Amino acid sequence: MSVEQGEAFGPWLGRQLRRATISQAELAKRLGITRAAVSAWIVGRAEPRDEHKRMIAEILGIDPEAVTNRTSDVSTNLPLTWHHRPAHADGGREYGNAAAFAFNADLSVLAREATQNSLDERHDLTRPVQVHYTLHEISGPHLDKFLDTLRWNELREHYDAAAGKNQKVSRSLKAALEELDRTRTTLLLRVDDYNAAGLTGPEYSDGRFAAVVRRQLDSHKESSRRAGGSYGLGKVTLWATSKFGLVMMNSTLSEPHEGRTERRVIGRLDLPWRTVDDEAYAGPAWFGEPDTSLEHPKVSRSWWADEETVRDLHLERPHSDAGTSFLIVGAYDASGDAASLQDMHEKLVRSLADGFWAAMVGGQRAGALLDARVTTMRNGQVLVPEQRVDPYSRHPALSRALKAYLDNDTVPERTSGDQVAQTDVPLFVTPLLNAPRVEGKGTEHRAVLLLTATDDEERKNRVVCMRGNRMTIMERRPRELPLGTDSFQAVLLAGHATENDGDDVQLAEDFLRASEPPEHNKWDRTEELTSLYRRGALSRIDDFKEEIDRAVRELVGRRETVTRGGPAVLQELLRLNSGGVSTGTRRAQGVPTVRSINARLDDTGAWHVDVDLKLPEAEDSWLLTPVAKFDVRSGGRPAVEWSLLTAADNCQVENGNLVIPAGTRSASFAGVTDPASHPVRGKLSRLLVDVQKARGGAR
Amino acid sequence: MKAAFPYPTLFGDVSFEVTAVTVDGSPLPYTHVSKAEQTVALHQTGRDKWDVAVLHIRAALPEQELADGPWTDAVCLAVLTEKATNARTSGRLTRVQDGSWQGRIELVRNNHLNRASLSLTVAATLDNLPGRVIGTAERDWFVDLKVTTPVRQREIEIVEIDFREGDLEWLRPFKEAPWIVETTGEIPTVYLNTSAVEGLVEVLHGKGGSAEEKLLREMTSSQIAQDAWTAMFHTAISDLDLDEDGTPQMPGGWREPVLQMMLPDVLPGRQLTDALFDINERRTKGFGWSELQTSVQYAAGRRSQMTKKLAVATRSVNSVARGGSQ
Amino acid sequence: MNSPDTAVNTIGLLPDAAIAKFLTRGMQTGQESPPLVALRKAAVQPEPAEARWNVEPVRELLDEAMNRFTGRPSRADAWLAPRLHATLRMTRTEAADSRRWNFLAMITAPDYVVWRHKGGEIVPAARFSGPHYTQAFSRLWWAAELFRDGYDYRPAEFACGFQDVLNTTMRLDVIDHRPTAHTILRLLEELRNANTPDLGVRVNALSSAVNAAGSTLLYDVFAPDEAPDHDAVQDWVDESASMPPVPWDRLPEAPDDGKVSERAISALLPLFTQLLEEAPLRKRGKHSSTDEEE
Repeated sequence: MSVEQGEAFGPWLGRQLRRATISQAELAKRLGITRAAVSAWIVGRAEPRDEHKRMIAEILGIDPEAVTNRTSDVSTNLPLTWHHRPAHADGGREYGNAAAFAFNADLSVLAREATQNSLDERHDLTRPVQVHYTLHEISGPHLDKFLDTLRWNELREHYDAAAGKNQKVSRSLKAALEELDRTRTTLLLRVDDYNAAGLTGPEYSDGRFAAVVRRQLDSHKESSRRAGGSYGLGKVTLWATSKFGLVMMNSTLSEPHEGRTERRVIGRLDLPWRTVDDEAYAGPAWFGEPDTSLEHPKVSRSWWADEETVRDLHLERPHSDAGTSFLIVGAYDASGDAASLQDMHEKLVRSLADGFWAAMVGGQRAGALLDARVTTMRNGQVLVPEQRVDPYSRHPALSRALKAYLDNDTVPERTSGDQVAQTDVPLFVTPLLNAPRVEGKGTEHRAVLLLTATDDEERKNRVVCMRGNRMTIMERRPRELPLGTDSFQAVLLAGHATENDGDDVQLAEDFLRASEPPEHNKWDRTEELTSLYRRGALSRIDDFKEEIDRAVRELVGRRETVTRGGPAVLQELLRLNSGGVSTGTRRAQGVPTVRSINARLDDTGAWHVDVDLKLPEAEDSWLLTPVAKFDVRSGGRPAVEWSLLTAADNCQVENGNLVIPAGTRSASFAGVTDPASHPVRGKLSRLLVDVQKARGGAR
Repeated sequence: MKAAFPYPTLFGDVSFEVTAVTVDGSPLPYTHVSKAEQTVALHQTGRDKWDVAVLHIRAALPEQELADGPWTDAVCLAVLTEKATNARTSGRLTRVQDGSWQGRIELVRNNHLNRASLSLTVAATLDNLPGRVIGTAERDWFVDLKVTTPVRQREIEIVEIDFREGDLEWLRPFKEAPWIVETTGEIPTVYLNTSAVEGLVEVLHGKGGSAEEKLLREMTSSQIAQDAWTAMFHTAISDLDLDEDGTPQMPGGWREPVLQMMLPDVLPGRQLTDALFDINERRTKGFGWSELQTSVQYAAGRRSQMTKKLAVATRSVNSVARGGSQ
Repeated sequence: MNSPDTAVNTIGLLPDAAIAKFLTRGMQTGQESPPLVALRKAAVQPEPAEARWNVEPVRELLDEAMNRFTGRPSRADAWLAPRLHATLRMTRTEAADSRRWNFLAMITAPDYVVWRHKGGEIVPAARFSGPHYTQAFSRLWWAAELFRDGYDYRPAEFACGFQDVLNTTMRLDVIDHRPTAHTILRLLEELRNANTPDLGVRVNALSSAVNAAGSTLLYDVFAPDEAPDHDAVQDWVDESASMPPVPWDRLPEAPDDGKVSERAISALLPLFTQLLEEAPLRKRGKHSSTDEEE
């Protein structure tokens, strides 16, 4: 009998007997065989004949097929309950999930961590993992039904007890409860992934399920993964995003557990230490079926839910692709910069584009690794329709660069603005301490640098460095860029991110990861690096960074900064300003200027202008000559005469000059030009108006 | 100075860029094009002979405003000019699907000398009169034929040469001078004589060295700079173009930054055009010209950091003296 | 006449700096011969040596001009401009090199500069070394270049008959648009044919109006200009290796790089006619040159 057909017979039978509360001895008696024979079935030493299987089906009250396939459990309608972990025997108290405090409950952090987990758990490596974030605000009957299914009433006394403590968590919990009571509204944030591994593995021991549900800081990593921190600290952000510390899960497994794959459901709640009915409880609680095993009596375990229950829990998955749905109950953005549902929607879209633009770009050499969408709903109605996160709209230059690489469409040297230039950046991987020495600096890995022009002034002139499944490690600002460098954005792909094969790829990947601190945000000196690798590893990392800068300089061109003729000390003193840049030049201050003019032509072709002047503080009065000229293409500008000058504010007109009293900061006058003095008719002219110090009748 | 048009013009920005350049049909490496500097460097090392460069241009106009406004038949024209050769070539841009305007313009090698300016003008029909200028791009692009690096600001040339036996015959009469400054050309040039004072040029090039060496380096460079700024100022204020009322116009090229940097020190508290007018009057009429020299000297001294260098030098001399006496 | 030494017969390149050093008041009055040896030393020889840089044909042409127009030197401009242009065959790039003009004025023919431009006591220094519209030789070459109509020098010859065109119109950037330049000439021709008085005043007023209206009007929109055929210019320059001396009694031929479109000129003509009609006629400004008046 093949494994795919269902669970092994022994464990299956053992669980069914517990669920039906039938002992092994009783079964042996009813089958008319020895207890030892039953025991042999359960431990897997033997399997019953078909005749006995039919009888077992009869005793358990199920279809004989079910005994053969073993893909479902005996339905005994075990009641779903919350199991709260009793307080530590040693009296230690935890006032909240310690790990949750490591993260800000910020939607951008959630999007980053949860999506990275999905990416790390991608199942079928020929197609992208899909993530779907759904914001769903519920109130009224929708809320009531949801809370009923969740057995909120059972939880409430624990919440109230926990909220009573005068601790940080307690205070925020209290506020959340009060808000729920007042508004009768809450926000559910669902994070789904498809084509992911799902929460596989046993209930309590090693595996993805236990890593997420049972353990706090377990970084469950499959060694072959190109993972940054799969289900490590990042999962805590799910709970941190819930005001109630409550997350429900429904997973479709990529490998069957207990012979089944669909609708493995469990809830987990993180609360601080509390006393309810004189019983002390510490930390988490789980929502599920009471465990029937002897090792974990009464602990709530995941159950294989029916479709109606997952629907009521807002955990329904539309198709059977493997993956997990996390439902964050009472979701919020603690950063405070996303108040409305629309804000939160946009923030999620933005965060996903910022964190995963690279994973969402696909080409001929390798497809996209990720497809991300965001939807927002209110009480079952769509508020903001499903929006596919488009890397090109938020990071056009970077996405273009990567796409060009994946399509083998890069150039060695750019000849037009939107081309992508590519060059290699060597990284020498030092041998491991226990590995044999190699010639030279180590094994050479050729990382890939891509560079293209950008209009993004904010993020210009940086190199986004990534490895693994296009995970950004750091953004580097190359040093000593040549003068006049155009704004660019660059991508450095190292290790698996190059999509290349070869021994050096994995070596480089491991080497770089060893140089990353736990935050995975730079390549630098780490203890891991020095303790795992031979001497010189640090220098190789430094070399690599220098090589990145050098490669950028080469691609932006003009090789090294060319030193123009002459001693530097002299060049320094002979530099010409091209406007604006201060080199100790005094601004021309204290001069009267025309602040604004309002000009129109009349029917005779004369210009009428109203002119506002701005004047510096002065002890003497000003004598200024208003001047009107016609603009020209080149050469001297013809002056035109005023036929009329009238003072408007803070000035007097005398002999064609303006007299402005001392201490005046603004003045205005009006003027009309004399069309007879126009070298060209007013309609074809461009008028210039200025004020000059009066030139004492020289005009 | 504020200007007014007798008809509505575009309020939104008109901008344009050179997206690609081909030289005799082959693409010019894009590193020769700088959007930041708005400059194209056409000179390619190892490639002196070429005939025609084609510049591909893309412009962005305030489309909505253009559509809503009173203008019709908008024309977007790129114009390539160079004063030195009286060259003027234009190229019409056409509106393409993505809403931008694109076109090309040819630069014929034989029609240009140093540096061409590329401008962009938008014209339209208004009140039945076609060709009204309704917008121009704020800043021209430069297309430089002499440089390999697209940098807008040209630097003052410093040439190290043997006046006595070098290639430049005309420097022979100055063979005793340690340096001379020439400001008549396209770019002011400082010629350093490698043969007048042995070792001086080497000292100028040095980085560290003894306190005396540093002193010599700093003081000499400051002195050269003083000469250069003075000469540049005087050249910049000669041959000014005048408006009809006698107001000088700000000259172009390197003269403009020189005047902008020095005028506020020469005639403090004066509007640039007023200061230029005053200086031109003094120069052409003679009165107050010699008094002005004091201010020019002062301004050149500021640019050459004379006071700062002297202060540092004095201090170092003092400390050397103290060190020696101990 | 003190003819300069013809032993060295190549037109070289004389740096601007040398002018400041060697141009004396004596030279500007024509009383002193230039220090030829020192000047030649300061000059650079053009590379490679080409027939078109021969001094002889230019010198011959200038001698003929001084001969033909004895006593009325400003009349020589119209005759000389096209012939100088056709003798000194070069690209605009080469013509923009002021050192070549310096050489001609200081070494090849300082006598011509004095003959042509000594209106008052001395010849202004800018006639020896100065902007393209002022220097004694470059103004003629550029006038021929800017006002010729393809191969046809007649418009250039016509333009050089008016000192105001050379002194005022030629300075303006607007005329670098060929249809604009030729429309101005066309209007001027109409005025002359109608025996209109004060042609100089009128051409100044028109030029000024065209220049001012150019700040709001893009003439290219009225009158698109076909780009000249640059290969034709290069061919014409290359032919200089085997060209005979230019004819003295009929016009030589300019490079056949394409004529200015008649359509373009007729599109501008009504506009410019109106500009001229509306332009105020003013007395000569103090800045226009007076030493050239006939």
